[in-house]
Amino acid sequence: MENIFIILLGLTMLYIASTSRLLAHINMLVTQGILLFLICIFGLSDEAWFNLGIFGSLDKNFIHILGILFIIFETLVVKSFLIPLFLKKVLNKTHAHRDSSANIPHFYSLVISSIILFLGFMSVNLHFNTFHDVSPLFFGVSISIIIISLWLITIKRTVLSNVISFITMENGIFLLSLSVAKEMPIIVNLGVLLDIFIAVFILGMLVQEINSEFEDLEVSQLSDLKDYE
Amino acid sequence: MISLILLSPVFICLILFLIKNRELNTILINIYAIIHFICSICLCIGYNPRDIEQKIFQVDDLNKIFLMVLSLVFLAFAIYNSGYMKENKNLTRKLRHYAYAVLFFVLSMTGAILSSNLGIAWVFIEATTLASAYLIYFNKTKHSIEAAWKYVFICSIGIALAFVGIILLTIATGDLNSLYFSDLYNNASNFDSFWLKLSFVFILFGIGTKMGLAPVHFWLPDAHAQSPSSISALLSATLLNCAFLVILKVFKIMIIANCDGYARIMLFTMGFLSLFISAVFIYHINNYKRMLAYSSIENMGILVIGTALGGIGLFASIIHLIGHSFIKASFFMTSGNILKIYGTKKIKSVKGILSKDKKTGWLWIASLVGITAFPPSVLFISEFFIVKAMLQKEYYFMSIVFLLLLTIVLFGLLRAVFNMTASDNNEYKKVKLPCSMYIPQIVLLALSFIMGIYLPYIDNIKKAVIGF
Repeated sequence: MENIFIILLGLTMLYIASTSRLLAHINMLVTQGILLFLICIFGLSDEAWFNLGIFGSLDKNFIHILGILFIIFETLVVKSFLIPLFLKKVLNKTHAHRDSSANIPHFYSLVISSIILFLGFMSVNLHFNTFHDVSPLFFGVSISIIIISLWLITIKRTVLSNVISFITMENGIFLLSLSVAKEMPIIVNLGVLLDIFIAVFILGMLVQEINSEFEDLEVSQLSDLKDYE
Repeated sequence: MISLILLSPVFICLILFLIKNRELNTILINIYAIIHFICSICLCIGYNPRDIEQKIFQVDDLNKIFLMVLSLVFLAFAIYNSGYMKENKNLTRKLRHYAYAVLFFVLSMTGAILSSNLGIAWVFIEATTLASAYLIYFNKTKHSIEAAWKYVFICSIGIALAFVGIILLTIATGDLNSLYFSDLYNNASNFDSFWLKLSFVFILFGIGTKMGLAPVHFWLPDAHAQSPSSISALLSATLLNCAFLVILKVFKIMIIANCDGYARIMLFTMGFLSLFISAVFIYHINNYKRMLAYSSIENMGILVIGTALGGIGLFASIIHLIGHSFIKASFFMTSGNILKIYGTKKIKSVKGILSKDKKTGWLWIASLVGITAFPPSVLFISEFFIVKAMLQKEYYFMSIVFLLLLTIVLFGLLRAVFNMTASDNNEYKKVKLPCSMYIPQIVLLALSFIMGIYLPYIDNIKKAVIGF
């Protein structure tokens, strides 16, 4: 069941690559958050990958419930509600609804992203099938999400779409950490979540500042600091 | 002790939040600096009564040195800062935010140094980015926004890639389910070498972004040049060290796992690339704070080259790290004095520092002597040992390139500094700055020059590099 969601997650990246409306990108972030939640619940609810070491003395069921609560908080509350809501606010304030002049036309961008996704699938399935600790589908899709996000950061022109690509990259990393059938201690998970959340918050604030100080929200505006004149 | 060092900033922030007073901001930063210093000394001499977080945060032979450097530089920063912020006409609210950010910045650096778990270290390294973002943005000009944006964005992506590296490392560890460095060291010989090598690439590039190694150094000159000078001192002298410590610890895993040949090549490449890039850019530089930032990149390059050499090279790296932190902090603080006096960062617009303010002028020259490794600067010893290690291993060509690049950097720095200090015979109006803007530099420079003649605690440094 979770395989379908993983493939859908990969497809959301293609949609982000092919459209220029920032509102659609933010909606895709919501979708990704929900998909990640479904993947966790369907695929991994019985594998206690969230190690609640610090609550070791507590009842086992209680720990399980805590873990699920944490997952709900991380994926549903933070990834698909708080961050998109904040970004929507920034979007409304800055009135930058479209990332129209990407360095590469959207069609080519879509094609290249599809190729990356395909290669991600193929390489992992061909090479790591025998490796028992890693689930190939998770691994392949997450690596391709990370690479597509990095690629989108380089081609998109407005700072806000860079932030969105940064978040999709973090989603890819989240999926990668699921692909390893191993626990990250919850304290690390919490720290990671907090860091990402604050990073997005700070970046959003900076986007607003850039909007008020610079003429428009293009990355090319941010090139005043250099060594030669 | 560790709890005290990590929790006191939170309480101080609470006090600042409740009592809104302009003077209190700097006073409380000073108080935390003193607490930090006392706690660090206690931890280094092994006095650590009843600590709860023994497992996650630990003091060992290696991070002792880093902790002590952080603590000393932070103390110097706090003293300098009280002079630097005295005439600042900013709103009280803004200064309070500044104090919050400084406290959390130091807290996260301390956490990164003390943590004995790779995951926790990652969390704290990312936290340093977030805490210092406001400090870089403090002046709220167009340029500082640009610098802060680049800093947060580039570092966050770098650190995110480092997390990918950590996940790959957990694949390499096989049955081991722990990210504690001690567990990783004990089991490193059983790790899967393919995944380990792959994870090292990600971790080196990710954390290397934070450390300012070329080719992922782009944020560093912008951020160092745009932040207030006291903050630049803190960034350059302590933040880069924290990142270096994490790389060093991961490198130790590679050594134990017998993959060090591969890791050394990568470290050499990044080190020499850093040297090359700083040599190229320092030569034509027009902004003296950017010049110092490139010099930081150069010194980080030297650190990783020493690490890659191993043995006596690593020993030299640790000495270099201590010396560089002290001298560079003093250099950046002095640049703050110059900025106060002249109000410009352009090298060409600054002339005759010696006749305008003698003390600043001499501090500027003394810092230059220190950073360019003229004896008796401690950097002379470390660079000498690094070259010696290269010759011992018969890397003759490498040592020639190393010395050549250092000479170019030396020339660039000398030219800029002498142009700025030399007078062109005009009468200048003398300027007076508060004495807290001179004392920290004098102390730090004196320490680094004394260390060049007599190196105390040499056994501790030797102990720290055992196992590499």
